[in-house]
Amino acid sequence: MTKEPQPTYQELKTELDKLLDELQSDDISVEDAMKHYERGMELIKELEKHLSNAENKITKLKAKFD
Amino acid sequence: MITTVQPIQLSPSDFVALVNQTLEFAYPSVIIEGEINNFRVSKNRWVYFDLKDDIASVKFFGTVYNLPGPLEEGMVLRVTGTPRLHPLYGFSVTIQSIALSGEGTIKKAFELLLKKLTSEGLFEPARKRLLPYPPARIGLITSSESAAYADFVKILAARWGGLQIELADVQVQGEPAAGQIVRAIEHFNASGEPPEVLIIIRGGGSADDLQTFNTEAVTRAVAVSRIPTLVAIGHEIDTSLAELAADVRGSTPSNAAELLVPDRLQIIGVLQAVRDDFGRLLLQTVVSGKKDLSLQAESLSQAVERILSYQKEEIAHAKNILGLLNPQNVLKRGYAVVKKGGVVVRKKSQAKTGDSLEVLLSDGTVKAEVQ
Repeated sequence: MTKEPQPTYQELKTELDKLLDELQSDDISVEDAMKHYERGMELIKELEKHLSNAENKITKLKAKFD
Repeated sequence: MITTVQPIQLSPSDFVALVNQTLEFAYPSVIIEGEINNFRVSKNRWVYFDLKDDIASVKFFGTVYNLPGPLEEGMVLRVTGTPRLHPLYGFSVTIQSIALSGEGTIKKAFELLLKKLTSEGLFEPARKRLLPYPPARIGLITSSESAAYADFVKILAARWGGLQIELADVQVQGEPAAGQIVRAIEHFNASGEPPEVLIIIRGGGSADDLQTFNTEAVTRAVAVSRIPTLVAIGHEIDTSLAELAADVRGSTPSNAAELLVPDRLQIIGVLQAVRDDFGRLLLQTVVSGKKDLSLQAESLSQAVERILSYQKEEIAHAKNILGLLNPQNVLKRGYAVVKKGGVVVRKKSQAKTGDSLEVLLSDGTVKAEVQ
């Protein structure tokens, strides 16, 4: 079974910034603004989850550098 | 009884072979320290010099790859090498490695190499690249046994999560260090999936200990790395050439961690502000974007409803986050809070020998005395 790779913090943040940018433009429709808002809230929640739960993973390279 | 050793008769070639065999058996490797004299480089590749003291002078032979950087007559070198008798050119020591010896020589070599590499433009501010902030994958080059490594990893974990760290465990001082660090940098750069940033760290030490990071090989490897570099060597006052060649320099390994990632608590605060921005922008769009009044009222109430329902959820969620960041949970992971007379002790200087301290653990307090 293959697991979907979790989006990284950077990916989530890029999407959030894009939504915020679009929401700031004058010609966004009310419908899109609502969608952007909802998606924005989801992303913020994801980001917060990422920030509070994620741990750093250290892998030691097997390669020797002698 | 007296035994006389019969002299043996040999051809010149056999004699050279015999001497070399004898030398190889008796002195496979020697370390000689002395002042450099008659230094010359031939065809940009071969290096010749003598090391001398008041009485004797010994010839050395090697390649430019052995050199720690530009050398000058009068410097004191500690050379590891193999004594050999060359069939045509006589006796010399074949160089395995060269270390600079003494503060004066180390300083002089630093200045010479700084001048040379500055004139090549290696330290130009225009060459500096921005690091991804925060990165997701990092390559770390250091010794896993060093205090620098422990500090860096600890600060990183406190500030940020979800980083993939690949560690190249290398020596950070001594003769093999420079070669190992250069190969680790090359390894990451040659990787099919290279990390987004390379971190090279080492704690403080004597000028002799920090020599590795002032060698031409390490400095050049940092400068030519395709992956952006963050280098933090020694204490705040020490600046190595490798740091000057890096895209970003950290004053200490802990500072490197601070430069690399933001503090998660601060970002959680920023996200709260972004959440408010989203709500404000949504309402603005609804209010300004619609001319039809009845539609506007409907959209507005929908927008308000959505914002309110998200805010309810958000409060529950915020509680959850606070729980995760609760100090009590940190204590459960094995950390402790040390207090003296009710005041938290954060620095060594706050506790003196004989002071009695309270140590807060997850399930209670124990008393301790400073020794």
